[in-house]
Amino acid sequence: MSVKMYRSPERMVAGVCAGLAGHLGLRVGTVRAVMAGSCFLFGAGLVFYAWLWILVPLAGDDDPSGTPQPADDGAPRLKLFRPAPAGGIRAGGGAPAAGSASAPRGASVGLREILIGGALVVLALVLFSARTGVNLDLGTVVPLGVISAGAVLAWMQLDATRRVGLLNAAKMDTPWSIARFAAGIVLVVAGVLIIVTGSGSWALVWASVVASLAVLAGVGLVLAPWALKFWRDFQNERAGRIRETQRAEIAAHLHDSVLQTLALIQKRADSPQDVSRLARAQERELRSWIYQDEGKDPGKLVAGIQAACAEVEDLHGLPVEVVSVGDAELDEATRALAQATREAVLNGVRHGGTAVSVYVEAAGSGVDVFVKDRGAGFDPGAVPPDRLGVRESVVGRMQRNGGTAAIISSTEGTEVRLHLPARPAQADAPAGNGKATNGGDKK
Amino acid sequence: MTGTGQPIRVVVVDDHAIFRSGLKADLAADIHVLAEAATVEQAIAAVSAHTPDVVLLDVHLPGGRGQGGREVIAGCSGLPGQVKFLALSVSDSAEDVVSVIRAGARGYVTKSISGHEISDAVRRVAGGDAVFSPRLAGFVLDAFGTAEVAVEDELDKLSARELEVMRLIARGYSYKEVAKALFISIKTVETHVSAVLRKLQLSSRHELTRWAADRRLL
Repeated sequence: MSVKMYRSPERMVAGVCAGLAGHLGLRVGTVRAVMAGSCFLFGAGLVFYAWLWILVPLAGDDDPSGTPQPADDGAPRLKLFRPAPAGGIRAGGGAPAAGSASAPRGASVGLREILIGGALVVLALVLFSARTGVNLDLGTVVPLGVISAGAVLAWMQLDATRRVGLLNAAKMDTPWSIARFAAGIVLVVAGVLIIVTGSGSWALVWASVVASLAVLAGVGLVLAPWALKFWRDFQNERAGRIRETQRAEIAAHLHDSVLQTLALIQKRADSPQDVSRLARAQERELRSWIYQDEGKDPGKLVAGIQAACAEVEDLHGLPVEVVSVGDAELDEATRALAQATREAVLNGVRHGGTAVSVYVEAAGSGVDVFVKDRGAGFDPGAVPPDRLGVRESVVGRMQRNGGTAAIISSTEGTEVRLHLPARPAQADAPAGNGKATNGGDKK
Repeated sequence: MTGTGQPIRVVVVDDHAIFRSGLKADLAADIHVLAEAATVEQAIAAVSAHTPDVVLLDVHLPGGRGQGGREVIAGCSGLPGQVKFLALSVSDSAEDVVSVIRAGARGYVTKSISGHEISDAVRRVAGGDAVFSPRLAGFVLDAFGTAEVAVEDELDKLSARELEVMRLIARGYSYKEVAKALFISIKTVETHVSAVLRKLQLSSRHELTRWAADRRLL
């Protein structure tokens, strides 16, 4: 199972190295050294760092799409019952720099260092170009420096997952679409420039390109933080609304079930049997609500047996555990099997007086059901033949439907074994071929 | 199973203090609780500090990356010595049971288990055996299929004997009763169960993968 990478809130600059180290299981120092070292390989480290900064969300921040994730891994819906963190719904408007607010100290340190570093890089570039003979006048370098500083500032302020959300919303999630988008902008700008300058003079076109790009970039830089802030507020509000609906739904369910049961339990506190029965029924209900097994289909045999066992449990307050492998369609024969199972469980609970285990196995050859209790057991042969109960409702019922039933009892408990062969075999099996070795009654 | 002489040292990991104290009171006298932990981080720290024989591990835990018990097992994988994990949960959903077993737990019991049974399970796990609840046996049969195969040592399938043992456990038999029913020793039953546990942890068989995918385990 893959784990999402997050930027660490304990950060020097943007938490990329710490996050990467945590993700890869390396030491933070090592990752930082490698990252710093690779900056000297034509700035690869810088580019990689910036790329991760933009794309990797900060730990503890919201899911970028704004929708609550119900089940990412093994611990899904149960989480709903843990108390929500204080102020579970993030205040939308208030925080202008929500992303960096989680680690104010780290962010301010990072900002200072970035400014110093940026200035140093610009200085180095200027010196380098002067040495190689390329003539860069201060009039170009200074505005460029100012613009990059402004960009860094604006983006750091919004340092969060919002950019990812924004990019996703514009379908900018693949490199190809980004390239297309960039190419489109270049074409539009080139076209506009050619119209405006009206001449083929490269010098003029070049100057206009720079000028218009500067204007575009400036406007973009000023507006981007605002646009992103609005986008963020919108996403927060939407996520909040979804969460609120979910919470209301859960609250309603808990009120109808758990609170009612708890009230009943308090009333019946003097009767341990009632209390345990109520608790058990509530547990079963809550369990089925939280952990629905997608593999099981309602309206089939296993669901039928489970319902029958739940009913017995409610009646007698003793736990009945059902384990099933495979499932079968409900038809006349399997319905009878479910009924016989119910009788066997009832008998086990009533006379065994202990918890009962039920195991259902449905395979190609037929369906087997085993019902086991740990009571004192009984001698099936000693039961008077005029008693009906088990003989009629379990053994007889199975035989009439082409199945078999056996009852094995010892001092350590009783087990009822039911077998129903698959359909084709059932057609030529005469009724009453059951090897009901010990048909009997406990009553 | 370990002898009665040596006490078994355990660490209890569960985020509910009430449950932890109840469990401690329930455990038999020869089981010593060294430490308790309530989150993934605390659990890894406590297990690393004490290297107990057995960790009683709740499947759902706060902290870490939100993967609960699995993360604790992964975080303790580098420890020297043999720390064994017995998973403990209110949940009996396939997701929780199978994923924590595949992460390396030696057994799985539900929290409704009695004090006597949990002590037994701890001793069994400390002795290097696996603990299968009826429900876990059911999941195994469901995942591996119930058709018998003759091959004894194939990761992807259960041998005929292992199937019989799993079936009996699913029917609610104790190890002792399984041994009696199959005319084998308890030790042999334990060997079979451990073999099944190994297969469950290592198998990457197609059906198991599909079974897991159906239940969104992968």
